Amino acid sequence: MAQTGSLVHFHGHQYLRQRLVLSILSGKSVRVDKIRSDDKNPGLRDYEISLLRLLEKVTNGTVIEISVTGTAILLKPGIIAGGSVSHDCPLSRSVGYFLEPLIMLAPFAKKPFQLTLRGITTDDNDLSADLIRTVTLPHLQLFGISDGLELRIKKRGAPPEGGGEVQFLCPIVKQVKTLNFVEPGKIKRIRGIAHAVRVNPQFSNRMIDASRSVLNRYIPDIYLYSDVYKGEESGKSPGYALSILAESTTSVIHCSEAVSKPGVTPEEIALTATHALLSEIRQGGCVDRKHQNLVLLMMILGSEDVGRCRMGEPSVRTIQFLRDIKSFFGISFKIVPAEPSEPSSTELLFSCYGAGYINVNRSLA
Amino acid sequence: ALATFQSHSKRKARKDWISLIYSSNLTPEQIVNENAANESPANDPVDDFFHIRTAVFANDDDLDMTKEAISQDALKEWEDDVLLESIRNLFITGERVVPEDSHK
Repeated sequence: MAQTGSLVHFHGHQYLRQRLVLSILSGKSVRVDKIRSDDKNPGLRDYEISLLRLLEKVTNGTVIEISVTGTAILLKPGIIAGGSVSHDCPLSRSVGYFLEPLIMLAPFAKKPFQLTLRGITTDDNDLSADLIRTVTLPHLQLFGISDGLELRIKKRGAPPEGGGEVQFLCPIVKQVKTLNFVEPGKIKRIRGIAHAVRVNPQFSNRMIDASRSVLNRYIPDIYLYSDVYKGEESGKSPGYALSILAESTTSVIHCSEAVSKPGVTPEEIALTATHALLSEIRQGGCVDRKHQNLVLLMMILGSEDVGRCRMGEPSVRTIQFLRDIKSFFGISFKIVPAEPSEPSSTELLFSCYGAGYINVNRSLA
Repeated sequence: ALATFQSHSKRKARKDWISLIYSSNLTPEQIVNENAANESPANDPVDDFFHIRTAVFANDDDLDMTKEAISQDALKEWEDDVLLESIRNLFITGERVVPEDSHK
């Protein structure tokens, strides 16, 4: 990474989404070179180009230059316009790939977002529409972004053909609240969604029974919902998945998900999701590993005060995200053990001084 | 299984995350996987003339996935009842941990 004036320079295609988001929020241009330059098929992939197109749609005045070979891009950010936008996502990635960066941008837009995305709604790579609705959006509420925040799953779309449709509604804010989230509490309830499309509807009940066989021992407040879509709403391909979340007495949410694979029974899928949830709970902290980046971003954008959050150890993505935040905003986190007197504890306390980020786009409205 | 759980939570020494993240040249993968860091070419005696270039990832696209790949082997340990019981204290039905100095 190199930085000259208001241009931040990276190499390689990794972490492209987070760098584009940080560029737009910070107002600094970003240049990325050597995008798969050693690959047999060099340059940007179809989903990356589609994401750039989507960013162009939701912003105003953004200039994106792509080299002839597709191995280098330059993005000069404009303002986040928001408003009503619809986009067809390629079938190589799910709608989650596109929604994750937009969720980070949407609260700071000029107009409230009404974004319609079409494509695959659940896959193995990115957050599914169910997890975004039930886990990601509640994380935004920690920062005072709540009224009118919604994700509607109009149609489900399983890979490979997709056919799903989601609508994301997000209000705008002037400034996000400072976070002070250090009490993990104890798990008080478990919720889940077992969905099945274009397969036997009994599959979702089989997943629920298998998951309950493990979880019933812990708490009585377990509700796993069977969500069966039929006809046009069920997309173009068969598939099923189980998304589960555990909520603590202090509103900490841990989540996991497993998606159908050829030759794997619904019971095995359910047990994979359930055991992954138990691993997440054991990891501890107040934020799920999949949502560390979102929370850390909102913390640095918070008002000029010290924000604190207790988390498990950072993931690979989170470590690079912390470095990228420093490159764009010049803010670094203080990271100390959450329980210094307990050597066995791996939980960490992340704290930072907020940048006092004001949504200037809103005042232009 | 309980031993596995304990070994999971116990570490030889606490990492200095601030210097690892902000002041080191280690890649995020090397920071997370300490073994990889120890085996990095920088720590090995290398010949001045020959440099072995090793690929860190088989599939570079893995990096832009939000969901981490679930290791079936790691999840297998949850088939053990002892391990399942070991996290009961994280639920409201688990035993309440009373601090030692609460009687004072």
